[in-house]
Amino acid sequence: MMAAILIPFLSGMALFLTRKKASLFKDIFAVVITVVNLIVAIAMIGKEAVIKTPWVGYGAEFSLRVYHFSSFICFATAVFSVLIAVYSAVFMRNKSDLKRYYAYFLISISLVNGAVLADNLILMLFFWEAILVTIFGLIAIGGKNAFRTATKAFIIVGASDLCMMVGIAMTGYLAGTFSISGINLPINSPMAVIAFLMLSVGALAKAGVVPFHSWLPDAAVDAPLPFMAFMTAAFEKFLGIYFLARITMDIFQLTPASGLSVILMVIGGISILLGSFAAYVQRDMKKMMAYSSISQAGYMILGIGTCLPAGIVGGLFHMINHAIYKFGLFLVGGAVEKEAGTTDLSKLGGLKAKMPVTFACFVIVACAISGVPPFNGFFSKEMVYDGALERGVIFYLVALLGSFFTAASFLKLGHAAFLGKEADNKKQVKEAPVSMLIPMIILACLCVLFGLYNYFPLAKFIQPIAGDKILHGHNFWGMPHNWGLVAAGFIVLAAVIFYHWTMFKKSGRALNVSDRLRSVKGLAVFYDMSGKKYLDPYDMAGRVVFLFARLLWALDRVTDWVYDVLCVKVCCAFSYGIRKLHTGSYSAYILWCLAGALFMMFYILR
Amino acid sequence: MPSLLILLPLAVLVIFNLPLGMAMRRLYYWIVATVLVAQGFFVAVTPFFDWKALNDPLAMFFEYKLSIDAFSLIMLFIIALVASVSLQVARYTIEPGRKTEGFINLLLVTVIGMNAIVMANGIFSLYVFVEVVAVSSFILIAMNKSKFAMEGAFKYLILSAVASVMILFAIAILFFISGDTSFSSVQSAAKVQAASAYVKIAMMLLIAGLFIKSGIVPFHGWLPDAYTESQAPVSVLLAGIVTKTVGVYALIRLMYYVFGMSPAAQKILMFAGALSIVVGALAAITQKNFKKMLAYSSVSQMGYIILALGCGTTMAIIGAVFHLLNHAIFKSLLFVNSASVEKSLGTVDMEKMGGLGQKMPVTGFTSVIAFLSTAGIPPLSGFWSKLIIITALWTAGNTGYAALALVSSIITLGYFLSMQSMAFFGQVRNGLEDVKESGMGLAIPQAILAIVTIGIGLLFPVIYNLFLMPLGNILR
Repeated sequence: MMAAILIPFLSGMALFLTRKKASLFKDIFAVVITVVNLIVAIAMIGKEAVIKTPWVGYGAEFSLRVYHFSSFICFATAVFSVLIAVYSAVFMRNKSDLKRYYAYFLISISLVNGAVLADNLILMLFFWEAILVTIFGLIAIGGKNAFRTATKAFIIVGASDLCMMVGIAMTGYLAGTFSISGINLPINSPMAVIAFLMLSVGALAKAGVVPFHSWLPDAAVDAPLPFMAFMTAAFEKFLGIYFLARITMDIFQLTPASGLSVILMVIGGISILLGSFAAYVQRDMKKMMAYSSISQAGYMILGIGTCLPAGIVGGLFHMINHAIYKFGLFLVGGAVEKEAGTTDLSKLGGLKAKMPVTFACFVIVACAISGVPPFNGFFSKEMVYDGALERGVIFYLVALLGSFFTAASFLKLGHAAFLGKEADNKKQVKEAPVSMLIPMIILACLCVLFGLYNYFPLAKFIQPIAGDKILHGHNFWGMPHNWGLVAAGFIVLAAVIFYHWTMFKKSGRALNVSDRLRSVKGLAVFYDMSGKKYLDPYDMAGRVVFLFARLLWALDRVTDWVYDVLCVKVCCAFSYGIRKLHTGSYSAYILWCLAGALFMMFYILR
Repeated sequence: MPSLLILLPLAVLVIFNLPLGMAMRRLYYWIVATVLVAQGFFVAVTPFFDWKALNDPLAMFFEYKLSIDAFSLIMLFIIALVASVSLQVARYTIEPGRKTEGFINLLLVTVIGMNAIVMANGIFSLYVFVEVVAVSSFILIAMNKSKFAMEGAFKYLILSAVASVMILFAIAILFFISGDTSFSSVQSAAKVQAASAYVKIAMMLLIAGLFIKSGIVPFHGWLPDAYTESQAPVSVLLAGIVTKTVGVYALIRLMYYVFGMSPAAQKILMFAGALSIVVGALAAITQKNFKKMLAYSSVSQMGYIILALGCGTTMAIIGAVFHLLNHAIFKSLLFVNSASVEKSLGTVDMEKMGGLGQKMPVTGFTSVIAFLSTAGIPPLSGFWSKLIIITALWTAGNTGYAALALVSSIITLGYFLSMQSMAFFGQVRNGLEDVKESGMGLAIPQAILAIVTIGIGLLFPVIYNLFLMPLGNILR
């Protein structure tokens, strides 16, 4: 267990000592370390163990616990890190700051492992917060503009981590211990409700749903692309959803009857809608993927929020599926960026012929995200639908609508980038290098595997997490159980294709199929406002903070006056008086002495 | 061999005042310096090497009583340190020849007197040596022979006379009550008759007299003039150690070890201490004269010691003694700084200075160390002693005084910052471009004192265990 934390961390630190120049050595080193990490993670699968040593005291001990849930996340993290290490070896070549990139990357792996394995809330918070540093560092590598984005991410995630810290303190107070495996609280007091919400804020912010999403699209443009793939698509989702699942299942006893479950579902629903609406109108591949991440995170929250077996298993399954196909999409995006030099859809087109393997991979992962059977996304979405429908038709409809726009987005993306006319691009586009293709192919295969043979992930990993207590003997592998929902899903897919086709005929360009939606009355206002960033919670908070700062500034002037003018005047006045008394006259000084002595005598004899 | 602390300087003094050749006279400085450094060294290593227990050959011929406890040890160390610094300063600021020899003679008399004070075992012998120190101090202050120096010396003389009258009168009363003047008999007599008006009056007269000697408001009239008008090495000696030994040491010894505290006496001490702190600090804040500001700052810092003494708990006494030690060191350092500036510029008027920190880096830097320590900035020595004092005041329930002590620390920082900004920081003033550091002679003592200030601060736990904890033990 310690190896999973120490090996990547120490090697990441060691990388800081190396020279700045990019070198093959660093690429190989990163790949080797991630492979070692994978071996360690595989060794942990199926094991149950606890490490416990005293740490800072006050209930915060250094305790790690490996069991099916944490080993699963560690394993998934390890797999993705190997893929990204192989991918980065080519993609990051010739980029500056390779050293920092790999160092932060390896340290991130270590921190994710630590946060997942930690069995003490405070220890977990320690790793959890530390990830913030690597996020900041990784985004900031991107360049000048990236620094602003990094700051934005830092503030948003940091503020929500602060909420989580408060939540942890409250939870510890309520439970009397910080040991995660020792806490199982009913939500029956206002304090427990607040503690739950605070912890959820931390988890939701990591998962990147509305209203904590606004740094994701910015980072998509500024940060190095592999960062978006492994951090936002995989690591952060793992952590956020892992912790949310722990909160709802272990730390608190969340029941479907509680209002908190509805709150989670509403947040999930809003994220699905906003994320997919925004994704549909994007003209940049990376931005579109980032927005779609937000909506996909919404599905996971919705699923877990239902507190029903189908929803929870679906949410967790969706988490791993999303990581696979979104990872794949980002890698495809990276390949396009590397070869065509841009990810702007208006400058792309007809890449199918030039990059056939990339295109094939794209088709598979795009089908997976759109919920086309028999890929993995289809199965997990069906489960989430199943849970949502049971809690209320409205949630189901929202999820269905979201999936309509998701599918439409990626249809548009694929059409604009890979089909259609070739864009008159000066650059000679060719297929991506092998070490970039391998991770994409593996991911595409995983999409198929987890779809057709969903027994493996579900029965081996995900259902044990939920446990018999929640599942009551249900099994979710195999074909979907509710054929009505499947039929509805098919209808939506058919509608997407029909809609896309009619719009394409009207506008004549794949890129412009979404223009019609932009001009729909209600939505137009929404898009306008989000275009001007009015809807960005970060900027809203920024304005409030600015007002507050003005107020404090005014207060400061008053305080300044008190210190700079009033205090000085008073001191000087006294000082002047005292100096006037010191005339240098002998008799006065002798009189003072005698008066003092007399006073003392009277006082003591009184 | 405690007697050596008195007899050795005395022997040196006698030998070198015999009609000797020039060659021998040149050695005078080095011999005295060796004696002082040896005193400091042996005192400092006492926890590891107990020189007190060595066989004293003089005991065969004389019968005498000297007593050394942890408190005396600390004082002996400061005496040696400050006196040697003063000697060093004198070598570079007083013209060589008769004048320097005269200064060294008087310095030795003062050191003998102070060593005797801190080892004295009876109230009368204490008084006698207080007068010895006082007489030599008059002459030291007047050594400059300028009008102002005479005035300062005369003021000290007059007010010391008042103090002598008070102390002698008190001793007479105590002798009348106890029939003896040794500490132990006075202590037992005072204990028996604690309620009698005689004891109370004697105690108050003693306190008042010693307040004059240590310059506590409102008994401080002589102090600013005497400190300011005397020559640099004399200021160092006076401010660094003389007032502390004859005034504060004697007061702590008598009040705490002989009389014992009574609530009324405690109130008087605390009130006088607090008054000193505030008046001293406020008076210092608008001074334009470097040495006068330091003098008022001394009044203020003495107030801290008296305030802690008045609080009376073991912790507070430890704080008082520790602050005494620290104050002796950093105030000496500041006076050496002033000597250095005076030597380079020929003036101590701060309005004529500016940007000296660039031209005189050693002086500038060490003065920053000293003032930060005075204001109680961690991790310098002054921080710890103020911390102990304020904590002791707070835990004893004197929260108002504790708050006052804290606020005054800020004023301390305030006036020293204004001093720094006038004298050392900022742009070099016109006409001061050619100013240079005053030379190694003053840089060495400045560096040593600054290192001691930092060292005591950093090694606080060691100092506390080796030198300050024993204070707590002898108090019981």
